[in-house]
Amino acid sequence: MNFCLVGLSYKTAPVEVRERLAIPEERLPEALHSVVSLPGIAEAVILSTCNRVEVFARAEFNEANAPLALGDFMASFHGLDYHDIVQYLYHYRQREAIRHIFRVASSLDSMVIGEAQILGQVKDAYARARAAGTLAGVLDEVMTRSFAVAKRVRTETGIASSAVSISYAAVELARKIFGTLEGKHILVIGAGKMSELAAKHLINSGASNILVTNRTPERAEEMAVMLHGRAVPFEKLLEYAAKCDIVISSTGAPGFIIRKPDAQRLLSERRNRPMFFIDIAVPRDIDPAINSLDNIFLYDIDDLQKVVDANLKERLREAQRGEEIAEQELEKLVRRLKTLDVVPTIVELQGHLEQIRMQEMARLQSQFGHLTEQQRAAIDMLTKGMVNKILHAPVSHLKHLAQEPDGLKVVETVRKIFNLKE
Amino acid sequence: MTNLWLWVSLGLYSLGLLHAILTVITRREKMFRIGLAALSLGIVFHLVALVEDGLAVAHFPITTPAEAASLVGFVLAGAFLFVYWRYQYQSLSVFVFPLVFVLTLTGAVGQGGDATWGSPLLRTAWVYIHVCLIILGYTAFFLTFAAGVMYLIQEHELKSKTPRAFYYRLPPLEVIDDLAYKSLAIGFPFITLGIITGAVWASTVWGPRWPLDPKVALSLVSWFIYLSLLFTRWSAGWRGRKAAYFAIAGFAVILVTWGTNTGMHSFVSP
Repeated sequence: MNFCLVGLSYKTAPVEVRERLAIPEERLPEALHSVVSLPGIAEAVILSTCNRVEVFARAEFNEANAPLALGDFMASFHGLDYHDIVQYLYHYRQREAIRHIFRVASSLDSMVIGEAQILGQVKDAYARARAAGTLAGVLDEVMTRSFAVAKRVRTETGIASSAVSISYAAVELARKIFGTLEGKHILVIGAGKMSELAAKHLINSGASNILVTNRTPERAEEMAVMLHGRAVPFEKLLEYAAKCDIVISSTGAPGFIIRKPDAQRLLSERRNRPMFFIDIAVPRDIDPAINSLDNIFLYDIDDLQKVVDANLKERLREAQRGEEIAEQELEKLVRRLKTLDVVPTIVELQGHLEQIRMQEMARLQSQFGHLTEQQRAAIDMLTKGMVNKILHAPVSHLKHLAQEPDGLKVVETVRKIFNLKE
Repeated sequence: MTNLWLWVSLGLYSLGLLHAILTVITRREKMFRIGLAALSLGIVFHLVALVEDGLAVAHFPITTPAEAASLVGFVLAGAFLFVYWRYQYQSLSVFVFPLVFVLTLTGAVGQGGDATWGSPLLRTAWVYIHVCLIILGYTAFFLTFAAGVMYLIQEHELKSKTPRAFYYRLPPLEVIDDLAYKSLAIGFPFITLGIITGAVWASTVWGPRWPLDPKVALSLVSWFIYLSLLFTRWSAGWRGRKAAYFAIAGFAVILVTWGTNTGMHSFVSP
C-alpha cells in the first residue's frame, strides 16, 4: 500500500492559481501517461475541477519522494517551477490519501458541503484514467470504493437533503407546507431572473398551471411562453391569486401590491386553504403583516437567505456523521488491503503447504518406525520438490496478477481455495 | 392471573420508548427501525395476551381499568402501524410509542385484579360495544391531538423563518393537517355511536331518567368540541392553528374524562 496524493484546492489556492494548474480534459491522457512514467509510479488518476486539481497515485515500492515527484509533475506540466507552486500544495500518503479521496468523493471536502457534482467529477476522472490504462490494480479498487462511500454518506446522512440556494429553498419551503407540489397552482407577478428560476424549480417539482402577470402585458406574455404558462391581466391579479397556492412576486412597484385585507379576502375565498407567498422584490411587494395570518406563509428574500443559512448549518452537522462513515469505510478498506496484500498471501501459502508436508512426514515416520538417515533425506527432498513445483506457478501468477485490475479478487480466490484465514 | 405474553410485548414496546426518548433528547432520529420492528412484533404478542386473557375470564377483557388500558395500547399501536404505512412519516412515533408503553405497563401491572363489573347488570353486550367504540374513538382522537401538536410546532418553525431541528424532521403541514382531519373524521362516528350505545344501555337499566354522572357530562363536552371542529371545517374550511388548538383542548377534556371514574362509570355495580 503506497498511495500518495498531491493536490491543491479552493482551501489552499486562489482561483488564479487553480485555473493555471487545472489540467484540461483533452490533455488528461497525456498527463496521466506522464505521471505513470515517473520513476516508481505504477498507477495514477487525475481529478481536475474548478475547485481542485489532484493527482492520486500508487508507487511500486514505498517511494519516499513520490510527493515531490508528483508536485514537480504538476508544475512542469504547465511549464512552471515546483518552488512557485509548493506553497499551494498539500500531500497525503497511505491511509490519509485514501481518506482524502473518500472525503472528496462524498462531498465532505467541497466548498458547498453535500453538493452533488463532485461525485460525477470523480467518476469521470476514474473513467478517464481507466481509458488511458493508468489504473491497473489496487488504486482502481480504492477509487471504486470511494463511489460506494459517497453513496452511503449521501443516503445515510442529510448532507444533501436541504436546499442551499435561494430558489431551491423556496421549493423546499413549498414542500414543507404542501407536502407534494403535484397539481399546485402558481402565480408569478412581475419578471425577473430570480422569480423565473424559482418558478422553474417549482414546475420541475411537479407544480402545474402557471399564471404570469405583469404591468406590461407583453412581458407577461413573454414569460408565460417561457414557463409554459398563461398570462393574465395585472388588474385582475387578486382574482387569480385566489386560485393559486403559491405566489411569487418581484415587481418594481414602490409600494405593497398585496396588503393584509387583500390576503384576508383571498383566504376566505379559498376557504382557508394555505397559501405560500414568495416576495423577491426589493422594495417588497407584499405587506409583511400578512405572515401573521393563519394559513398564510410569507417569505421575503432575507427570510429565504436565513433558511439557506440554517440549511448550511444543518449540512455541517450532518457532515459530521458523514465523516464517521468515511472513517469506518476507510478502516474496512485498509484492513482488506492489508490482508489481501500479495506478499503475506504468498508467505502464508508456502507456510500452509509446508505444514501439510511436515504432517505427512510425521505420519510416515510413525507408520514405518525408524527410517535410515538416507531414506529420510530422500523423502524430504522428494516432498520439498513437489511442494515447490506445485507452488511455482501460483506464486508467480499471484505476483503478476496482483498488479492488474481485479488483482485483489484473484488474491481473494487463492486465499479461499487454499483455506487461508484472514 | 398474570399473562407472560403481555410482559413480552411490554419489553418490546420499551425499545420503542427508548427510540422516542433518544429522538427527543438528541433531536435526531435514533433507532426508529428497531422501535418500529419491536412495535410490530410486540403487537403480535399483545394480541396473543388479549386473546388468552379473554379466554381465561370468558369474556372480552375490558372489565377492569388495567384491561381497558392494555386494549387501548394495543389499538393505538395498531393505529400507528396503519398511519405509518399510509403516510411513511415517522415523527408520530415520538407521541405514540411512549403512550403505548405506558398503557401496556398499566395493563401489565394491574392485571389479575378482580373483574370489578360484579353485577351481571353490567355484563350486557351493550356495555362491551359501548366501551369498544369509545376506545376506538379515543385512539383516533389521540392521533388528532398528536397531529395538532406537530402542526403547531411545524407551523411555528415555518412562521418564525429560522428553521431548527424540528423543521427538518416533521412532515409537511398539509400532511399533518390531512392526518388530523382523517383521524377526526374517523374518531367522531365512533364516539358518537359510543355515546348513543351508552345512553341506550343506561335507559334500559334506569329508564328514561338515568343519572348524569361527571363522566357522561365531560364526554358530552368533548363531543361538542369535536363536533364544532368538524362542522367548522366542513362549513368554512376551518383548519390550521386554531383547529390544532381545538383538537388539543378536546383531547385534554378526554383525558379528564378517562380519569373520572365515578357514578355509574366507577367500574363497580351501581
